[in-house]
Amino acid sequence: MTTPSKYGFSNLLLGTIILLGMMSVVGLARWMEQNRVTQDSQFGEADLYLNAAAARRLSLGFNGLVADWYWMRSLQYMGRKVVHHRDTATVPLDIGDLRVLNLRLLPSLLRITATLDPQFMAPYQFGATVLTTFDTDAALQLLHYGIEQNPNQWRLYQHLGYIYWQTKDYQKASEIYAKGGALPNAPRWMAEMGARVAAEGGSRRAAREIYQHLYDEAKDNETKSLLARRLMQVDSYEERDVITKVLDAFAKRAGRCVTSWKEVSVPLQTLGLRIDLTSGAPLDPAGTAYVLTEDGCKVDLDYRSQVPFR
Amino acid sequence: MEQTAAAFARTESALDRSSVWKRVFSIARNTFREAVRDRVLYNLVLFALVLIASAIFLGELSGGQETKIIIDLGLSSILLFGLFIAIFVGVGLVYKEIERRTLYAILSKPIGRGEFLLGKYLGLCLTLLVNVIVMGIGVSLALVYVTRGWNPLALSIWPTILLLYLELAILTAAALLFSTFSSPALSALLTFFVFVIGHFSADLKTFANSLGGNAARSVFTGLYYLLPNLSHFAFITPAAHGEVPAASSALVAALYAAVYVTVLLSAATIIFKRRNFK
Repeated sequence: MTTPSKYGFSNLLLGTIILLGMMSVVGLARWMEQNRVTQDSQFGEADLYLNAAAARRLSLGFNGLVADWYWMRSLQYMGRKVVHHRDTATVPLDIGDLRVLNLRLLPSLLRITATLDPQFMAPYQFGATVLTTFDTDAALQLLHYGIEQNPNQWRLYQHLGYIYWQTKDYQKASEIYAKGGALPNAPRWMAEMGARVAAEGGSRRAAREIYQHLYDEAKDNETKSLLARRLMQVDSYEERDVITKVLDAFAKRAGRCVTSWKEVSVPLQTLGLRIDLTSGAPLDPAGTAYVLTEDGCKVDLDYRSQVPFR
Repeated sequence: MEQTAAAFARTESALDRSSVWKRVFSIARNTFREAVRDRVLYNLVLFALVLIASAIFLGELSGGQETKIIIDLGLSSILLFGLFIAIFVGVGLVYKEIERRTLYAILSKPIGRGEFLLGKYLGLCLTLLVNVIVMGIGVSLALVYVTRGWNPLALSIWPTILLLYLELAILTAAALLFSTFSSPALSALLTFFVFVIGHFSADLKTFANSLGGNAARSVFTGLYYLLPNLSHFAFITPAAHGEVPAASSALVAALYAAVYVTVLLSAATIIFKRRNFK
């Protein structure tokens, strides 16, 4: 017969084993953490082992959920690259040219997302705004696939038109906007955009409208932020036109280019530009001061500016 | 005199029919109670936690796609949790009664083996129904929470939830069939295979069409039609975009499920009747 004292002893023994075991686990985990061999960064860039069709087949009716997972993975993949660039690069990221991020898996990730759930609109918009900056063919393929799957979705025509507009194929962009505008439920501005792009091509007015509509439609912060910066770029072009006029007028009047912003800060302020009170330099839409070129005759964006260069 | 005898016989057969259903429902009620006692409904707590966590965290990760993800995750969880219940409770329905020897006591009473199986099946279906309804309400509430107000999707997901329930009804019948002749582990594995094959059956047809030989093609085409095609019940992805299954297709899917369940339960009854428990 087991006595209570024997129970007490065995419980104490087991309790001690649990306590010591947990302490050892914590110690071992800390040791492994400190001595972990750094994984080759190439592992994160390993090719996706599932193609879109296989992923759809293997999802067993959970394709919507798997699509969501691939969508979040796409966002995180890009987010990680952006953070890594911010932490390591000396020059800010130019959102007009994302080749520097080496987003080679992004086209496949977005394609799998779209194949798993063809009605999911977010990947198409993300593809149109992001893929276009480094792989136009992949962006076009994605959008054509989307239109094939959802022929009545005017938003996809908007995104496809945007890609063609970015590649300066204004004729094609105009046709796509007009085609999308003719769809039921399409807003009137789609057809108007078709006409505007046909008439004005790469004009700033067309650019502003295209970016503004895309911005209004965007739901994810990543895309919204990219488009907000594109809108800043259009504003910045207009500001730089104003500044150039002021600099030219000064050069004509003084017979030389300016040596400091302070010489033109008053007329710039009068024309409605925001001025840095210390240096007298005009501020770009992102709040960074514009810089003068070496001879002082022209204005340029500071390399640290958040406004896209291209 | 003859008329009185015929009327008496009719009344007796009607009484017999009504008592058959009484017995079936009594077994069903007990099966449901047993499931509740076995804390099967505890999975609802886990489900609620999954939904709350997703509603809070996914907004940050999904780039403004919370509504879609809540629906995908919520309805997929309903299917997955239901599948686990159908498999793990379903395969034990008969086995446990044999193991505990309670089956002998039940079958010694005037209860047919078919009635016993039907009662068990209906009991588990009732458990699943309660689960599915509570989880469905959870998804609807989560949608209202993330949109900070009324969301029409909270209502439009219900036809899809009904389709999910029909899919689970088929899987429960399959689990019960397997449990009449094999061990719980093997039954669970076989039921899971039915679920996998059921979602692969469209590929079976493609595969059959790609085959050269007529015999092989006939075999695979036959399998395609004979095995349950669960893709008819998969409407989660369109539901996340606010789509509702067409009434006609939902009705045919319900009919398909009813016929399939009848076939599976009939097969289970035949096997169960042949089993010797001595």
